[in-house]
Amino acid sequence: MPSEEFKEMQDALEAGNATVVRTLTEKALERGVDPQVILNEGLIPAMGRVGEKFKRNEVYVPEVLVAARAMYAGLDVLRPLLAKSGAKRAGKMVIGTVKGDLHDIGKNLVRMMFEGAGFEVVDLGTDVSEKRFVEAVRSENPDFLGMSALLTTTMPAMKTTIDALKEAGLRESVKVLVGGAPITHRYARDIGADGYAPDASSAVDLAKELLGQASSSAAS
Amino acid sequence: MRRPVAGMRQEKLIDLVRRSPQRLVFPLMGYPGARLTGSTLRQNGFNAELHFMSICKLVERFSPDAAFFMMDLSLEAGALGLPVRYPINESPTVEEHPVKSLADLDQFKVLDPLNDARIRSFIRVMELMSKNLDIPRGGYVTGPFTLAGLMMGASELAMATIIDSGLVHGVLEFSLGVCKRYARALAEAGADIVAILEPTAAFLSDGAFRTFCGPYIRHLIEDMDPMMVLHICGNTSHLVKEMCKTGAQGLSLDAPVDFPSIAGDVDPDVVLIGNIDPVGIMVQGTPHDVRRAVKDLIDGMASHQNFILSTGCDLPLETPFENIEAFMEEGRRCVRVCDGHATLDPAMMA
Ligand code: B1M
Repeated sequence: MPSEEFKEMQDALEAGNATVVRTLTEKALERGVDPQVILNEGLIPAMGRVGEKFKRNEVYVPEVLVAARAMYAGLDVLRPLLAKSGAKRAGKMVIGTVKGDLHDIGKNLVRMMFEGAGFEVVDLGTDVSEKRFVEAVRSENPDFLGMSALLTTTMPAMKTTIDALKEAGLRESVKVLVGGAPITHRYARDIGADGYAPDASSAVDLAKELLGQASSSAAS
Repeated sequence: MRRPVAGMRQEKLIDLVRRSPQRLVFPLMGYPGARLTGSTLRQNGFNAELHFMSICKLVERFSPDAAFFMMDLSLEAGALGLPVRYPINESPTVEEHPVKSLADLDQFKVLDPLNDARIRSFIRVMELMSKNLDIPRGGYVTGPFTLAGLMMGASELAMATIIDSGLVHGVLEFSLGVCKRYARALAEAGADIVAILEPTAAFLSDGAFRTFCGPYIRHLIEDMDPMMVLHICGNTSHLVKEMCKTGAQGLSLDAPVDFPSIAGDVDPDVVLIGNIDPVGIMVQGTPHDVRRAVKDLIDGMASHQNFILSTGCDLPLETPFENIEAFMEEGRRCVRVCDGHATLDPAMMA
């Protein structure tokens, strides 16, 4: 596969041009390119670059959201094929903004970066109660539970959710990631989360790292 | 006895600052007043007399140089009929953002926001403040971009700035009208200062701000009698130059902005208002932490006259009173140094 075509696809993704990304994805499939390759070598690196630029303040929230929308345009074409081929996803995550908190921009960016990195993500939205988080962990059986909180007053809901997971006997089955403007490493540790990330692309890196650890410890 | 404020409307915020022998000091505070009247935030949000009493008690206890009523970003959206949740002791929030197209605006265009009971209640608070308080009296109005975000959903609005600017400008035109109508009513009720709250603009690039936020703020500000201040939460360092072009007489900026380093970008006639961290320092810190933060900020701003000591954003309900006291005391204690001359606080010379 000439990398030139991926470059065009990637440029379109970074520019937020959904139509072009969809068309180029379809064209690549017509030429017989493996959907997994399109995802891994086309869409994912481009979305990763957008996340990096955002981290460096080279682009802002609207640009990231529009790039993610373009990514979804490609992903939507690939999804049924990936499912059929039984292709392995990078991992699965359930995500939401905690109870009492309606800030969703950061959470949306995290969701998009995870989808862009090849994860399957179930988004519970905002103002998610402990009970709904626990139910989703039970029914979806994800690798990660991601919680976002932007208010000091809603941060404690992260802890009560972790406690509720323990009570339901589900804490060991899932890795808990937390983030949001007022959250710190220390707070994450204190409440017994598995990880904290200051921004969306670091969250993806962290998740991959944790998955790597899990698989290497499983192998040993 | 404090100086009367009659006729102050002709005056600009910078004149007020220059006329004062010492630094002006006022935290953005309303919520903690509910603790002084033994009431809940929800009660204050619906009861003008109570709300006014809560503000009065804050003024009596802390003697700030200006008083504001309670911040409420859901007021205008609620007046348009969007569903709002009113928790007992947290700020009300808008729960649904139904506007997807310009046609969706039609249902709102027939409404006069000033008929809404809660808007009326806030206007009444402003009247009571204006009649009974002898320091500059301030109110808030949600900014057009933030109101548009509440109508459309913030993420949807963000994307639309790139893919559907026609929709964004249409919604902004409408929200500007609502903001203007309410701001005028506050002015008529006697507001000396009106701060425009525009938190959702924090995520825009400077270029996008120039297109989608600045011009609407400028419209909102022009022909308004009160001193108009622009408040944006979050890290807005990249927006300061654009904010200066809106005609705002004051910029109220949040804790992540480094005041000393941006002060040079700000016209000396525009007052910088801020920016002690309302949560990290004012709620979670000790009085000692508060004093140190205040001192550092005042020292950092020593060579800039256009500065009012305040908080980066509204103080939460649970802010310890001793921290507010420490804030006021330390702010008052510091001498003002400008143009190389130190003006001593008369109280300290006595
Ligand atoms: C799972 O793992 C992870 C990992 C990383 C994770 C993660 C999860 N989640 C996030 N991350 C990380 O990755 C993201 C991308 O890199 C980052 O996400 P962020 O969400 O941090 O960043 C976003 C990309 C951009 N940032 C944002 O979207 C937030 C910007 C600011 C200005 C902000 C906005 C826009 C809004 N607000 Co609100 N608002 C503020 C914000 C100021 C600030 N300093 O953050 C903040 C958060 N708000 C605040 C407040 C007080 C409020 N707000 C309110 C309302 C609103 C708006 C509706 C106007 C709007 C929200 C729109 C929306 N749908 O989200 C009210 C509450 C509503 C509620 N119940 O939730 C209200 C109570 C205001 C009021 N008086 O009514 C303050 C919280 C203070 C505190 N510490 O408690 C605040 C810090 C502003 C301030 N200085 O006062 C990282 O944190």
